[in-house]
Amino acid sequence: MKRKGKILRIFPKDTNTDEIIAGKYKYDELDLEKLAVHTFKSIDPSFYADASKAKNPLIVAATNFGCGSSREQAPQVLKTCGISCIIAESFAHIFYRNCFNIGLPLIECKDMIKKVAQGDVVVVDFDLGVIRNITKKEEYCFKPIPRFMQELLEAGGIMPYLRSHGGYRD
Amino acid sequence: MDRTMAEKILSDKHGADVSTGDIVIVPVDFVFSHDGTMPLAIQQMEAGLSTRKVYDPYKVAGVCDHASPSPSEKASNVHIFMRKFAKENKMPYFFENGDGICHQIVVEKFAAPGKIIIGGDSHTCTHGALGAFATGMGSTDIAAIMAYGKTWLRVPESFKIEVTGTPPKHVYSKDVMLHIIGEITADGATHMSMEFLGDAVDAMSVESRLTMSNMAIEAGAVTGLCQADSKVRAFLESHKRGQDYRPLAPDKNATYADEIIVEAEQMEPMVAYPHRVDNVAPVTQFEGVDVDQVCIGSCTNGRMEDMRIAAQILKGKKVAENTRLVVYPASRDILIHAMEEEFIKTMAEAGAAICPPGCGFCIGRTVALGDGEVALSTQNRNFKGRMGNDNAEIYLCSPATAAVSAITGKITDPRDVVI
Repeated sequence: MKRKGKILRIFPKDTNTDEIIAGKYKYDELDLEKLAVHTFKSIDPSFYADASKAKNPLIVAATNFGCGSSREQAPQVLKTCGISCIIAESFAHIFYRNCFNIGLPLIECKDMIKKVAQGDVVVVDFDLGVIRNITKKEEYCFKPIPRFMQELLEAGGIMPYLRSHGGYRD
Repeated sequence: MDRTMAEKILSDKHGADVSTGDIVIVPVDFVFSHDGTMPLAIQQMEAGLSTRKVYDPYKVAGVCDHASPSPSEKASNVHIFMRKFAKENKMPYFFENGDGICHQIVVEKFAAPGKIIIGGDSHTCTHGALGAFATGMGSTDIAAIMAYGKTWLRVPESFKIEVTGTPPKHVYSKDVMLHIIGEITADGATHMSMEFLGDAVDAMSVESRLTMSNMAIEAGAVTGLCQADSKVRAFLESHKRGQDYRPLAPDKNATYADEIIVEAEQMEPMVAYPHRVDNVAPVTQFEGVDVDQVCIGSCTNGRMEDMRIAAQILKGKKVAENTRLVVYPASRDILIHAMEEEFIKTMAEAGAAICPPGCGFCIGRTVALGDGEVALSTQNRNFKGRMGNDNAEIYLCSPATAAVSAITGKITDPRDVVI
């Protein structure tokens, strides 16, 4: 599997789920399309508009991206905004599960954030564990995703995975 | 092989020895979610698995706690959606507006040593204080568990937190936990199980341990486990669930990925200052900061012990003129007991707004801060916008620091007050 896209934003360490989608919106609104308008509103008000215009946008982050609440609306709104992949130095564990469960791929890559810039075009090769930066003509390696998680992505998330297997395989 | 508490529970549930890094499929003993996460879980069940049927109605609970009592027409409609689902599944455990916060309800009625408890809320790690492997998940995970009664888990590495000695007066488990998070930072225990050990933890009440386990997620942990000892047994017996008790302790030579030793006698009252939980400093560093709203309650510090501490400090006193005090007991049981003990009367006489049990102030849903306001709260998170307003500041502290500061209207060290 490969994903090609442009880096839309680079976020600092410990970017939390309240920043991704504030609680004040999510308790009233079940429609993800309407909720997605508020993505990153408190820290990056133009995020939604910019993501809507971009083709296959990716986001990059420092350590512990997605920390905080278990709210799945956080990865859901990012997916709804069209984010095709998130590359961070590390992710918070609930956010990490949530993304794979909804088929949004995450890559943990240690040193990349220091080398890339917003607007760089990259190709993520999930099989080889390599991110090619087309703009800067550089390559960054990442640790392959565990087999079970790859199966989730290949299936399109945990729901299609469970449907096709008739439940969990013990 | 010597095992940590997390490895013991997961090996037992998996039916074979597991070690850190393994991805295992395990049965779930209890699953719950609330009005912030359950609606999406129901939608995911329906859309993803074409079913609305839960695997076992006695092992699934829904709780209306986050927007409760409902502040809006839309939130009320979300509650209707949840009620309908519970009713058609004949779920006996559906908790209404005012029943309390999901974690406290699960602590009182369901959590027990050795169980796997999954909740649609990040603070599900709370139940680790009773020796349950408990962790928060998102709505799709909850949907899959509601349908199949199983989930996948990566066996976590463990972080040994050894707390030793006796804390000085007016230093509580909240102060100890804030100190620990400040030390190891917001991602210090990411993907790990925090295991709270040492004579200071042994000496703590179960309620104090719950405060520590509740905040394990603030250091990134999957769960925050305490040993299941005689205090846990007594706690379960007091909730008429003595039969759920079984001992839990790590083996002597268990392998930990990391360890710290915290000397409780060196501790002092702490705060976490805006806008990060790991921005931790002694209360003395922020003494004198004007406070618009003081909040006592939440799933972190809304239990009887916390109500007692606050009421003792507030007895015969008045909340400062320019400050509001809101009190949210964590459950209906706690509200009733705190009424019986007259803690509620004392706090109301001091000028507190007593609110129905729920998450109201912590997530700014039924009580929100105004522009430029400063809050001092016993909750677990001080992220920007957390209490409903991006232009407000939140400090976290213990119930004692909160109660004393409500009287002075400024952040105040509880050790300055003689009770």
